[in-house]
Amino acid sequence: MDKLKLRQICFLFAAVLPVAKLIIYPSTLSYYAKNDLLLSAGLNFLAEGIVIALVMWLSSRTDRTLFDLLRYTFGEVAAKTLYVLLALFLLFSAALPVLEQKIFVMQVLYENVPSLLSFTPFFAVCCFACVKGLKTIGRIADISLPVFALAFTALILLALPHADFGALQPAGAAGVRGIFTGSLFGLPWFTECLFPLLFLGHFRYEKGGMWKVLAAFAAGAGAVLLYLAVFYGIFEELSILSQYPLAHIAKYSTIYTTLGRADFLFIFSIALVCIFYLCIPVQLSVHCFRKAFPHLAPVFPAAGANLLLLVLAIVFNYSFNAVQTFMMRYAFPVFLLFCYVLPLLSLLLRKKPKAGRGTPEQNAKAARKKTARRRAARIARLLRRQERREHE
Amino acid sequence: MNKFWSWVFLIAAGALVLLFFSNDFGLIDIQKTAIVAAIGIDRSEEAEGRWSVTAQIAVPDANANKASNVSIPSAETVGAGIAEVNRKTGWYPTLVHCRLILLGEDVAEGDVFRVLGYFLRSEFVEDSCLVAVCEGRAQEMLGASSPVGELTTMAIAKVLSSEAQKTGLVCVTNLRDFAKGYYSAAKSGYLPFLARLPEAESGGPSEGGGGSADGGQTGGSASGGSGQSGSGGNADVFDASKTMLFYEGKRAAVLEAAETLAFNLAETSTDFAFGEVVAEENGEPVTFSLKMKISQKSRALALEGGVPICSFRIRANAQIADADTAAGLDEAAKKTIVPGSVLRAAEREFEEQLTAILKKCADSGCDLFGLKQALYRNFPREYDAYEKTLLSSARAAYDIRFSTLH
Repeated sequence: MDKLKLRQICFLFAAVLPVAKLIIYPSTLSYYAKNDLLLSAGLNFLAEGIVIALVMWLSSRTDRTLFDLLRYTFGEVAAKTLYVLLALFLLFSAALPVLEQKIFVMQVLYENVPSLLSFTPFFAVCCFACVKGLKTIGRIADISLPVFALAFTALILLALPHADFGALQPAGAAGVRGIFTGSLFGLPWFTECLFPLLFLGHFRYEKGGMWKVLAAFAAGAGAVLLYLAVFYGIFEELSILSQYPLAHIAKYSTIYTTLGRADFLFIFSIALVCIFYLCIPVQLSVHCFRKAFPHLAPVFPAAGANLLLLVLAIVFNYSFNAVQTFMMRYAFPVFLLFCYVLPLLSLLLRKKPKAGRGTPEQNAKAARKKTARRRAARIARLLRRQERREHE
Repeated sequence: MNKFWSWVFLIAAGALVLLFFSNDFGLIDIQKTAIVAAIGIDRSEEAEGRWSVTAQIAVPDANANKASNVSIPSAETVGAGIAEVNRKTGWYPTLVHCRLILLGEDVAEGDVFRVLGYFLRSEFVEDSCLVAVCEGRAQEMLGASSPVGELTTMAIAKVLSSEAQKTGLVCVTNLRDFAKGYYSAAKSGYLPFLARLPEAESGGPSEGGGGSADGGQTGGSASGGSGQSGSGGNADVFDASKTMLFYEGKRAAVLEAAETLAFNLAETSTDFAFGEVVAEENGEPVTFSLKMKISQKSRALALEGGVPICSFRIRANAQIADADTAAGLDEAAKKTIVPGSVLRAAEREFEEQLTAILKKCADSGCDLFGLKQALYRNFPREYDAYEKTLLSSARAAYDIRFSTLH
């Protein structure tokens, strides 16, 4: 039920994960990094790429899940506790993109001010995906790749003639502080490097798998960097005012004088992929809860998680900026810890169980091995003693 | 998950999807919404430091769009003025379809971003909407009788269309481009300077939707109107062949029609235009009307020996469209071959107009060609040293070549 294919993980990195960075992230980044936004985003992608490479290397060394590795190292209770923490973090990290998507849909896709009810179907879709488990993530990736590739290419082609890439000059104008602040405060949009860690044991590592995933990640990162360059080339100094560039980046094309805003077809397509993207952290959160509480029916954590997000959407309906500021300025250490430090530390986890820290079968096998080892050691000791006596 | 829950999910999702697409629970009813087609802003005549806001509202009708102008004579800010439209009329003004922001001439005496800031902040106003400044008051301009239906905005938008820009007669600007210039290192920009042609005010209706000629030496004028008036009476004609230059948001200078054409040919997306040049033929000055096609245009800033050099490289092809001389049959048949003297005269005329523009820029401080921005981007270390004197010390180098359009 929870099996993924390496191909699907590649598609996920190439087509689904970039969409989260197309909505409000560009204007936020340009506020701090100004025309150096590519350098700032590049740093984030570099850090993510390193983490993903290391986790993929780990996956080549073991076919166990993260939960197994935690249990082998710290025991069952500690593993469950860590999984509950991970579940809470994933839900926390899903809040900003969900609110971001909500405000995007409500402000851009409607002429009048819609009520919150308009966005509520998302929570039903997300709940359904959560109940279905990790396999839906793979299906999401399979569906999203062609949709994203077509819509993104069309939007970029429409926007490209209006971009003045000279606006990105001079490099380094924002200063080191601006570039690093942009990177640090941009961490809430760079949480994907945690995902492969949770996919451990749910996919079969193939030869060259690390390079395949890294190539897909590079393709996704390249798409985002191109988008950021076009975005800044179009809006230049006004980029900090352009909160939803996805809806505006391609509207300056002259073809609309006869066709109307045909680019909305592509914007809708990317919004659809974004809906899929938003489900992933919530699905992983529910997955973690289910690992920690295996006897719980999936519908309960799924409904609980989505209900919580719905409540957040209602409570912060008019306070998106406050949530964004909190996530960027105060919560970035949390993102750093869970998305970067935790995957790196996971490299140190035991890949084989200590006695008593596996499944009953694994424990019995380990106990048998331990007994055999002790017996062999005792025999060796006796033999050595006998040899010594004979010598004397 | 059992079948029961699957059905519950499907039914719930279906119901919510209906809500999603219908927006039946939208907070504002479409029937109570006023579709604002244009906003005119003037300084208030009632109180100093306040603004007069005029909204041209499109009222859909079975036969045609009817216009209704709602004016707020005195408002603290533009936002407050627009909100007052709601209070006065009961309509909630939606600016999503606002295609024109028209500024009165008196607004340009101060920083125009005091009023344009509202439109930049609002997510509900398209930043691709046209911005123009008009002679006199914007309220009167929007109240002019339109030759195209009831909406004056439509007639003005035709004058400021991208087609007019392509022929070089108007310097069309939208809110985004104007704001980009204002917030850039150049702090400069330009807006089309809209006027109502006096001769048309008393003219009767005529066929077609053409314009009236009001050309300078090398340019015609961009004007629309003189068609069938929606009201059946006289139709006003709008002219936007002049361009107002801005520095730090304030009016700096005005480009005449010929200068507007030259600027368009050298800098903007114009690549096909008509213009007139005077050349000697058989010892007599003859005016030639040329059809010009710009094949190459580039501008670059260089620092040579501490002197900023602004170089223009323009390649154009020309064809004689008309001449104020009686041509023989042979000459008329060979119209594709433009005499060298005419081509050289066109090059000289172009240079003279560009020189005149640069002088206006140096005098007024308006960095129309974005030289400061080029300096900042390409020579960031020298920016502080040259920034203040750049416009006055920059030398122009022209490499303009006209050849025959075959």
